[in-house]
Amino acid sequence: MELLSLLNSPVLYLICGGIIFFVAVICLVFAVRAYKMGKALGIDVTKMRRVITASATFAVLPSVGILLGVIALSGSLGTPWPWLRLSVIGALHYETQVAEAASESVGIGSLSIANMTPEAFVTIALLMSFCIMWGMIFVTFHGKAYTKRLSGEKKDKSAGASAQAQKKKKKPDLKRFGDTAMTAMFIGLVSAYIASYFGTIVSENGRFTFTGNWLPLAVAAVSALAMEGFIRIKKTGHADWVDSFSVAGSMLLSMAAAVLIGKFA
Amino acid sequence: MENRENQGRNESTENGALSVNSEAYEKYLNITHRLGRLMTVLVLLLLLSAPYLIGLFLHAVPNLPAAAKAFLGVGLVYLISCVAEYLIYVPMLGAGGSYLAFITGNLINMKIPCAINARDIVGVKSGTPENEIISTLSIATSSLVTIAVLAVGVMLMIPLQPVLQSPSLQPAFDNVVPALFGAMACKYYRQDMKISLVVLAAMTLLFIFIPSLIGSTSMMVIPSGALAIVLAYRSFRKGQKGEGK
Repeated sequence: MELLSLLNSPVLYLICGGIIFFVAVICLVFAVRAYKMGKALGIDVTKMRRVITASATFAVLPSVGILLGVIALSGSLGTPWPWLRLSVIGALHYETQVAEAASESVGIGSLSIANMTPEAFVTIALLMSFCIMWGMIFVTFHGKAYTKRLSGEKKDKSAGASAQAQKKKKKPDLKRFGDTAMTAMFIGLVSAYIASYFGTIVSENGRFTFTGNWLPLAVAAVSALAMEGFIRIKKTGHADWVDSFSVAGSMLLSMAAAVLIGKFA
Repeated sequence: MENRENQGRNESTENGALSVNSEAYEKYLNITHRLGRLMTVLVLLLLLSAPYLIGLFLHAVPNLPAAAKAFLGVGLVYLISCVAEYLIYVPMLGAGGSYLAFITGNLINMKIPCAINARDIVGVKSGTPENEIISTLSIATSSLVTIAVLAVGVMLMIPLQPVLQSPSLQPAFDNVVPALFGAMACKYYRQDMKISLVVLAAMTLLFIFIPSLIGSTSMMVIPSGALAIVLAYRSFRKGQKGEGK
């Protein structure tokens, strides 16, 4: 509990808040430059204002969903670090998985404040920063060449269909499998963890003893049911906005169920 | 109808004003790349140094061998995922939008839908200067809104800290990970139930018969993911052969 107080101390708010403020300034600089360039290019100012208003309103609901993610992680990592991670670069599903993997590797078992040590926390924090930085690295070293090549291809296409473009048409199958492979990869990732909850119940205290902790599997089941509910609301009510809350909402509902199950079990 | 009118206006913008300002636009793009690279590197350095800075405060240093081990498990999955995101989304977002989107994250659940929504409103095409401006404006605005909402939310959470730290809520926070994987299982399993059940059954048997692996679940993501991809490839090839006939 003492560590959690340290993780919620003003020093951490200052470190994390400082980085978030810096990123906010970057966003502001890019927005002002784009707005000025848009005006110089003759893009209708009303259109640009409409884009700003629409993007701001569009972002409110998902942002509340992200805030729920901060709440979900705050019990095990304190508030400032999840606040930083989910304000800059991260996403809830990624942060939780990486934090769990780091907890295991550092030897504290599953992600929990009860087992957390300062060394475990800083290792988790480093891994969370490291694992997802590839997009930033690619865009730094290859972004300019890539965007230039793309705009070059566009010109080629408008000038006439090039042989290269025709060659590309032969590759849709590989692209199609790329999407399938990504889904399969996530199925594999999720299955490893869900299977470990089954394994815990059956063999945690010796093979086929059936005396292991069943709470993780129960929580996962409640979360899956809640997610199913969100998906149905989305489909039947044509409510796409539900997507913004489905993961964080399912997590919070199942975490509330964990408290109730813990009390009555 | 309105879209067609919008498109007409866009074309006239591109052919008219843009040709006059093409030099200025080139200069804008070059500065965007320079600024984008510099800011991205700075943010990267800040993010990587923050754990060490926090470590100074907590009197601890990151355990690098443990971090490397965890990276081999789950980090590789995200390396591949990041490559795919980069290749797919950069063409949609343009230069400025890409730098901002990769710095601020939450791509799939917010930045991409937001940028597409903005593009639809104005009616622009990928690769055009208008798309560059609109995407940048859209992603910058949505990022600023997220930062503001989270900052206000976190400030409101400060008085709630004693409640959030109460022991009666600990079972909730101890089960964040199962809560996440339950929701994700529902989301991904429905996309291919057959593969999901086979992989889940295989991994469950493995954990039951070799319980010592439970403590290394993150490493077991590698065989689990490999099995899922092999099964998906077989099913994909089968489907292709069926289409061929």
